[in-house]
Amino acid sequence: MTDMTRGRAGAGDAPRVRSFGYVNWRGVWTLYHREVKRFLKVFTQTIAAPVVTTLLFYTIFSVALENRVGTVGTVPFVVFLAPGLIMMTILQNSFANTSSSIMVSKVQGNIVDVLMPPISPLEMMCAYIAGGVTRGMIVATAATIVMFFLVDLPFQNPGAIAFFALSASVMLALLGMIGGIWADKFDHMAAITNFVIVPLSFLSGTFYSIERLPETWQFFARFNPFFYAIDGFRYGFIGQGDAGFWLGAAVMLGIDLVLFLVVHRMLVSGYKLKS
Amino acid sequence: MPSDNGMILGGRPVARRFGAVNYRGLAQMYSREMMRGFKIWGITLAAPTVRALLFASVFGLAIDRPDVAMGGVPFLDFLLPGLVAVAALERSFQSSAFSIVYDKTEGIFPEMAMLPLTPGEIVFGYAAASVSASLIVGAVVWAALLPVGGAVPVAPLTLIFFVAIGSLMIALFSQITGLWARKWDYLESVQTFIFMPFVFLSGVFFSIDELSAAAQPFARANPVFYIVDGIRFAITGRADANPWVGAAVCIGVIIVLWIIVYRLFAVGYRMKS
Repeated sequence: MTDMTRGRAGAGDAPRVRSFGYVNWRGVWTLYHREVKRFLKVFTQTIAAPVVTTLLFYTIFSVALENRVGTVGTVPFVVFLAPGLIMMTILQNSFANTSSSIMVSKVQGNIVDVLMPPISPLEMMCAYIAGGVTRGMIVATAATIVMFFLVDLPFQNPGAIAFFALSASVMLALLGMIGGIWADKFDHMAAITNFVIVPLSFLSGTFYSIERLPETWQFFARFNPFFYAIDGFRYGFIGQGDAGFWLGAAVMLGIDLVLFLVVHRMLVSGYKLKS
Repeated sequence: MPSDNGMILGGRPVARRFGAVNYRGLAQMYSREMMRGFKIWGITLAAPTVRALLFASVFGLAIDRPDVAMGGVPFLDFLLPGLVAVAALERSFQSSAFSIVYDKTEGIFPEMAMLPLTPGEIVFGYAAASVSASLIVGAVVWAALLPVGGAVPVAPLTLIFFVAIGSLMIALFSQITGLWARKWDYLESVQTFIFMPFVFLSGVFFSIDELSAAAQPFARANPVFYIVDGIRFAITGRADANPWVGAAVCIGVIIVLWIIVYRLFAVGYRMKS
């Protein structure tokens, strides 16, 4: 009787509780579906706008610097720049998706609709992260297609491209959840974006190789997790990087794991969500 | 005897009387707009300052050959006045439009149509607040860029003049956007797809001489180009175009936009529903 497992009332029966196994797949799918529909509904803001912004950044940096920067390492400046800009948009959009979703739910008071259903904190996290990653990947794909027509991009190591795109997207989706849970108002969110996310992504080596920095600054630059995301992603395209593939991969996985545990802890304890 | 400020003096309340211009109403509106903007100074003042410093740092770090001149001056001398211009113009765009759309989403915007302010006074009130906010943000960003190579303007009054007409032009455009926008989405779309490209491609980051010959006429048709060029002229003494021709173009655009905004407020376009 499939009707019973689906929780619907059969003919003449009282409604029953839906039963499911260890994982509430349908619940996770529903939340994920909501997360994706949320941003697709306003795709001009969530997909077209970041692509246009990336294109604008590409234009200003390439026109302004093409004659003033020869090559970075062994590649022309624009080839160095393009992967960094794609990664920047992944970072910003994955962050924006989870943070704005939680923030809007909190302000509108419908966060209880996510907290009440029978899904565990782990399941809830996975759905939110998957939503952020989906947006990051759609924007990244669109931006890459646009860049493909402007820059002669080599795709040296597609595995590294995919790995760093996904791991960076997960990292920012998790940071977005932390931001969204912590922030009480939109002002707080804007502060995190303006004073943390944007500076970290600008100073991550998108526009220059960090070897150009004075030594003390290089030391600090290597503490910026965004540096590893951008460096590894660029390595996937051009086959050279400042940090090296394995160090980058280890840092990304380590940070993703730590952030995952932090967010899980926040959700289990109900920090700022359950009062 | 009723006083002319509408207070009750022994008798019935009497409508406040004023002359051709409701100065007190205008002052109230102006101070509300200013306070609304600078109450969230982290977003309206600190954020653009940080962003300008970030742009200055990444360009400064990326550049290999700073000696290759841009528009006749060293690259950073060229760039920094542009960053002041961007910050001032962005504040101008965001102040009126955001204020109007905020009032619309709160459902209090129709009250603007009920105030004893004429359409001309409303346009003036919004514009004055936008221009003042732009001058403040421009001054703060300019000061913040001084330690990283910013220059003292060669013609300070010209600088104020160009920031003022530039932000006035954008402020009027911002009012049109705010009136047209039914929701935040509309406003963000205008910002991303119209305002940002006009500003970013106006010669903030590069001299339009660096553009291909085919792109040059388009760059010169962009009124924001004349503002950025004028601001750079006032700071560095060097311009891509004749700055006074640029000023004339901008004043022409301002007159046209003012007439449009005035009409929109006069007919109550998307105001009363």
